[in-house]
Amino acid sequence: MTQPLDPQAAPDLPQSEPPRPGLRSRLRLHVHNLVHTHIDKSTWRIRLVAIGFACLFGVIGGRLVYFGFKPEPQTLRRAASEAVSRPRPQILDRNGEVLATDIKVMSVFAEPRRIIDKDEAVEMLTAVLPDVNAKELRERLGSRKGFVWIKRGIKPKEQEEVFRLGLPGVGFLPENKRVYPNGPLAAHVLGFTNVDNIGIAGMEKHIDGMGLNDLTMAGFRLDPADLKPVRLSLDLRVTHAVRDELIKGIERYKAKAGAAAILDVNTGEIIALASLPDYDPNNPSDALEPMHINRMNVGVYEMGSTFKAISIAMALEANKVTLNSRVDARDSLRYGKFTIHDFHAQHRILSVPEVFTYSSNVGTARMALMVGVEGHKAFLRKIGQLDRLRTELPESAEPLIPRRWGELNTITIAFGQGLNVAPLQAMMAVGALSNGGQLINPTFLKRSEEEARANAPQVVRPEVSEAMRYLMRLNAEKGSARTVDIRGYYVGGKTGTADKIIRGRYAKDRVFTTFMAIAPSDKPRYLFLTLMDEPQALPETHGYRTAAWNSGAVTGKIIERVANMLNLPPRLDLPTQPFPLLAKLGYGYVNTPFKGN
Amino acid sequence: MIRYLNVLSVAALVAPAIFAYSIKYETMRYSAEIVKLQHSIERENDRIIMLRAEWAHLTRPGRIQALADRHLDMQSVNVDQIVKAADLPERAVRIDAIGRKLELLGLAEPTATPNDKRAGATTPTSGR
Repeated sequence: MTQPLDPQAAPDLPQSEPPRPGLRSRLRLHVHNLVHTHIDKSTWRIRLVAIGFACLFGVIGGRLVYFGFKPEPQTLRRAASEAVSRPRPQILDRNGEVLATDIKVMSVFAEPRRIIDKDEAVEMLTAVLPDVNAKELRERLGSRKGFVWIKRGIKPKEQEEVFRLGLPGVGFLPENKRVYPNGPLAAHVLGFTNVDNIGIAGMEKHIDGMGLNDLTMAGFRLDPADLKPVRLSLDLRVTHAVRDELIKGIERYKAKAGAAAILDVNTGEIIALASLPDYDPNNPSDALEPMHINRMNVGVYEMGSTFKAISIAMALEANKVTLNSRVDARDSLRYGKFTIHDFHAQHRILSVPEVFTYSSNVGTARMALMVGVEGHKAFLRKIGQLDRLRTELPESAEPLIPRRWGELNTITIAFGQGLNVAPLQAMMAVGALSNGGQLINPTFLKRSEEEARANAPQVVRPEVSEAMRYLMRLNAEKGSARTVDIRGYYVGGKTGTADKIIRGRYAKDRVFTTFMAIAPSDKPRYLFLTLMDEPQALPETHGYRTAAWNSGAVTGKIIERVANMLNLPPRLDLPTQPFPLLAKLGYGYVNTPFKGN
Repeated sequence: MIRYLNVLSVAALVAPAIFAYSIKYETMRYSAEIVKLQHSIERENDRIIMLRAEWAHLTRPGRIQALADRHLDMQSVNVDQIVKAADLPERAVRIDAIGRKLELLGLAEPTATPNDKRAGATTPTSGR
């Protein structure tokens, strides 16, 4: 076996022997070539290297471009900053009291991708946070998102317990939470926010509309310190006093609901607003109940006899009557098959002031007919009663106007039936009738008188405005508004009682009462409005449920209580020349007091 | 000579390096401190806001009214109780009855101080 092997191996060896030195010398040559430059060979090698580098840089460059165009991967920080509720500016009242502010609360979040055992995590978390829905949480943790909330706004104790669980992928983030320290006070004006701190209603929504939302949507991170607080026109203490008196009044007269507001007639600022029943904006789900609407702004009502002020001002403005004119109120007014009666029928010819103080439907209707249907419509439009009143509050209501407006409509609207307006709208009109004739749009933000008057249209002449103040004052001294004649403040007022429409007919036993009061009547500053839905007659009110007995009484209490806070100094002596313009026009009698105050 | 120069140059090299390092570490320490302070400022601010909200909640008019009704027997201000500043009477001239009596008795004159013999040294007029 070895013999044949040898000859076989022998020719192999000499064959393999000779290349070895050749290979070695070739290797040496290669190494030599690497070290020594040969002009003839280096060109292609340099090219090769250049191409290699070009490829390398090309790859790097391409990669950079690719990364540049690729959407940034959602990092945790980014996802969190998007999910965390944003800061909002504080809301202050006109004196700087806090109405709404942000506080920091902790919220628990999870990164589902980093949670190892999801079922165990759900079990442990729901044990510590019992109000978290286990099934829902399991679903959320099962999602492919990088960031999910577990619970927002937890208590420090809960935070500690969750921390003790030591779950990976579960963390905490500080968030802003809106709080309203005054509870239901001014709730209807403030509105509320959702869990992401975005305004849903009221001024909160208005603030977002003013650009805050756009900024945060565009990705700007707002520093809470940079947000300028929003100053409202409301006065917190006055609002409380108004609400408190209204609560007492509603309880006393067993009314279904009520509302009250104070308007600065010279600036259009709403100083106080309360609408009952109300809700706590810290618990915004209550706000959605239909009973909790803002009756000043969102409800529309027939304002009843308070509208007579507008009708008489219209007749005076159109020069159809003067304060000395007489109007026939001997009998009921017949129109077609309808008859208009007076509640306090006098059955005689009344002077214009008497029409107002006796609240004569017939007299007012006759005056409106003198102006005519078109004139009536035009005046109501001019004074803002036929269009939707827009304030800062996003909630508003369109007035209910009769579709076909004939003479009968003019007759009924003249004494406040057949036209439903928002009470705030009526306040704006009466404010214009008393402040010298300028229609100033109400506002919930602080404003100066110059600013308010700059763009306010003149809707009635100053002397008409003064005549209206005289009539209101007269009405408080010897007319239907006597309940509001608070000593020292020279108050004027007008009552309004409207029968409610139940199933298309006016119900005799259910009324909607309104009361407007102006103080002081000679140099008006504030207009008070109180309204009550279905107040009941009481033995103390001698079985009456008309406005003077309920809304009027409440208004009187409100004025007495807040006059000091509103910086209205009491005057025990009556002003000697309260109505100078009228005296100059020859109605000197308006300045003589009717009775001792 | 050259050796000294070498040593010197090495020293000149090492010294600024040490200096630069120390500055760098100091900067790091300060910046950490700044971050810490900023965090504590933020925390304080949050607490201030929280306390303000709490204050507003505790001093809300409804609560104050309930407390006042329970613990104080105050009444609402009557119109007659409000007076304008201009209506206040002039302030009466202050009469020092005791001082006048002393003056009449001739006791109001300054007395010489026994201890201080210098000219013009007196005790204060008030007192004795």
